[in-house]
Amino acid sequence: MSRAAVAVRGLRCAYPGTASPALADLDLELAPGALAVVMGATGAGKSTLARCLTRLVPCFVPAQVSGDIRLLGEPIGERRVAELAGTIGMVFQDFEAQLFSTDVTQEVVFGLEHTAVPPAEMPARAARALATVGLAGFEGRDPTTLSGGEKQRLAIAGLLAMRPPIMVLDEPTTDLDPVGRAEVLRVLAGLRAEGLTLVVIEHDTAAAMDADLLLVLGEGRVLARGAPRAILADVAACAAAGIRAPDTCRVFAALGLPDPPLEVEAAAERLRAAGAVPKPPRFLPPPRPTGPPLIDVRGLRHRYATGHEALADVSLAIRPGEFVALVGQNGSGKTTLAKHLNGLLEPTEGTVRLEGRDLRALSLEQIAQRVGYVFQDPDHQLFAATIEEEVAFGPQNLGLAPAEVEARIGEALAAVGLEARDADPFLLDKGVRQRLAVAAVLALRPAVLVLDEPTTGLDFPEQQKMMALLRDLHARGQTIVIITHTPWVIAEYAARVVLLAGGRLRFDGAPRQFFADDTLLAAAAFRAPDVTRLGRLLGCTPLSVDELVAWMPRWTAPCP
Amino acid sequence: MDAALDGAVPLTLYVPAASPLHRLHPVTKVAGLAAFIVAAFVVDQPLALAPLVLAIAALLVPAGGLPNVRRLRLMFVLVFVFSLVVWTLFYGGRFGATYAGFVYGVSTAIRLDTFLAAGILFLTTTRVEEVAYALGRMGVPYKVGFTLTLAFRLVPVFFDAALAVVQAQRCRGLELHRGGIVARLRRFVPILVPVLIGALRRADRMAMALELRGFNSGRPRTTYLRARAGGADVAAGAVLAMTTVVYLALWRSGLGLLGR
Repeated sequence: MSRAAVAVRGLRCAYPGTASPALADLDLELAPGALAVVMGATGAGKSTLARCLTRLVPCFVPAQVSGDIRLLGEPIGERRVAELAGTIGMVFQDFEAQLFSTDVTQEVVFGLEHTAVPPAEMPARAARALATVGLAGFEGRDPTTLSGGEKQRLAIAGLLAMRPPIMVLDEPTTDLDPVGRAEVLRVLAGLRAEGLTLVVIEHDTAAAMDADLLLVLGEGRVLARGAPRAILADVAACAAAGIRAPDTCRVFAALGLPDPPLEVEAAAERLRAAGAVPKPPRFLPPPRPTGPPLIDVRGLRHRYATGHEALADVSLAIRPGEFVALVGQNGSGKTTLAKHLNGLLEPTEGTVRLEGRDLRALSLEQIAQRVGYVFQDPDHQLFAATIEEEVAFGPQNLGLAPAEVEARIGEALAAVGLEARDADPFLLDKGVRQRLAVAAVLALRPAVLVLDEPTTGLDFPEQQKMMALLRDLHARGQTIVIITHTPWVIAEYAARVVLLAGGRLRFDGAPRQFFADDTLLAAAAFRAPDVTRLGRLLGCTPLSVDELVAWMPRWTAPCP
Repeated sequence: MDAALDGAVPLTLYVPAASPLHRLHPVTKVAGLAAFIVAAFVVDQPLALAPLVLAIAALLVPAGGLPNVRRLRLMFVLVFVFSLVVWTLFYGGRFGATYAGFVYGVSTAIRLDTFLAAGILFLTTTRVEEVAYALGRMGVPYKVGFTLTLAFRLVPVFFDAALAVVQAQRCRGLELHRGGIVARLRRFVPILVPVLIGALRRADRMAMALELRGFNSGRPRTTYLRARAGGADVAAGAVLAMTTVVYLALWRSGLGLLGR
């Protein structure tokens, strides 16, 4: 038995001023070359574990830490973070914070320069690290000009060049689009092939499927540990831990079938063998709202000062009561389009009309009263000392009377389910901050609410809360446009999908049509939710697990 | 976000190219910049400035610096016009256009544009990391050079974040250009707080990421950049030394100065 790469015994970590420890009684042992995935809701202790392994806790974040951590058999008890460089590397979600140079090669050798690696060794090490992360040929580029996925891979290369046998990745793909995500996951597979011991914190179960060990944390304690397939098959336990169980597992659980496969092809095979063939009802094309459009985009073209044409020939009308998902890869022009809806950008050609009036004739402040825009990162807009002040800001800017401002605050906070008006926004969890940002915009009573990736960076329970909030608002007549990359959000919530690719409108229709068009999805590098893919193999196009299960014949589960 | 498109614009002017100027030792390049600045600083006679202007223009072409000049052309024009107008009108401490003021204004405008052009030439041919390296070779502590590199890396990122905050608040009805000075300053609070808090949070993560890369490891530092001074550096050094001597002589003798 070779010695463990990572051995943790009785780890306990408590931050000052908190009642319960962030981690308690944690044991963990990883053989060299193992891949461990750590999952759990916000506050479960995932990042604390990662930071304890690298000594960032308590060296950077003060905390009381007890227990024993050994890396490659060596206790790291009194070591400083920098002394462990070359033994253990760590990648953060925020890729901008991990790059320090204005040149790709300089970035990769940065760590080598600080750990006394002889200069003669550097070029070969840099070349190898860049090749491993798929950035060969990027030498000499300025990191500022790279995409998010490329920046994250460069950050990994910078650590890799130091040849650490162990690497910790704390939500490395959360801030990336599907293409960037796929790139980074491919790099992870490459690192594993090179024999690194990996600890990966992830929200998405897809990344966990092939791990050697899945560790599920909840409120600082281990809720489950073991083979990913066995843990993810326990749908009830996943829900309790705040994890979105794989669609195939949820379908099998609902039908009372044991041992769910995680791959949709295998699942379809099993369902067919068990005689579970769905009988979907006939779908008529869903009625599209009629009436005069709230926003009418005609022949929109946008060219940036750099000469890049981000949008061409885009026409669409958004009518009252719609729930639109605006989708497309990064660089497809969807953010550019969204910023035309609220006047942040002006068309190079074509028009955007708001309730019949050309947006160019309106001031941003006038537009703000009709089109609410919630930015992706709530921290880009929260500034006040209390929740109440934060929500009051918009209505006060409109010059409303105090009584009206008060009414708007009450209404907006009730809508998002926030009560503590005096709470400090900066002390709230990310998901609550996100809902507060929505409330702050709702207080303007916009006719259209545009949200840029409202679920990004949230754990599954918070994602569900956010989407339930939007569904409630929509049910009360709010027109909603969301920009999103998340397939299940589109499938389960949107009534209309608008797909952009290369600056052009490629699809505008119902989600069921969208997810049934395999050529379109392939061309746009988009993947349907697992349950939809499973249904497609069985001859139907369900948009949620509940739908597919409802279409199954009533039956009793066969006893194995 | 369409990051590569409407995202951060790099702050660097560096043009990766293999020109002879690029290949000079970073210390030579720093010395060259210093020599040009000193020379253009000590004389103000347009005829004496002309060789400097021509030399920089002649060097910018093979170095691939013309696109950078084009990128910053507005700055050249602004500096020139501003200097010309101000000196023409205020020369000698009194208000009123004078011919002497006009001549001095032209000379100062040329000098300032020469500084600017020399700076562009320097940044076109020198990576920020090379500047840091040169400073290190000249005895400046490493952390000073590193801070410089980091600034060039972070300023675009910081501006990007600030732009997002401004847009987010304007979408909540914030009007920046309305009311008196106090009201305007107050309106910057909703911009400054998120920008500063965001910057502090990121700085925190950055400090962690730095140590994870061995910064402050206590081990001796090595450098990837290995510049060796060659014949070109000796030649360039000689030319630069001669230029400096000549211009200092022009200054001391008064030949390079406008008559007063």
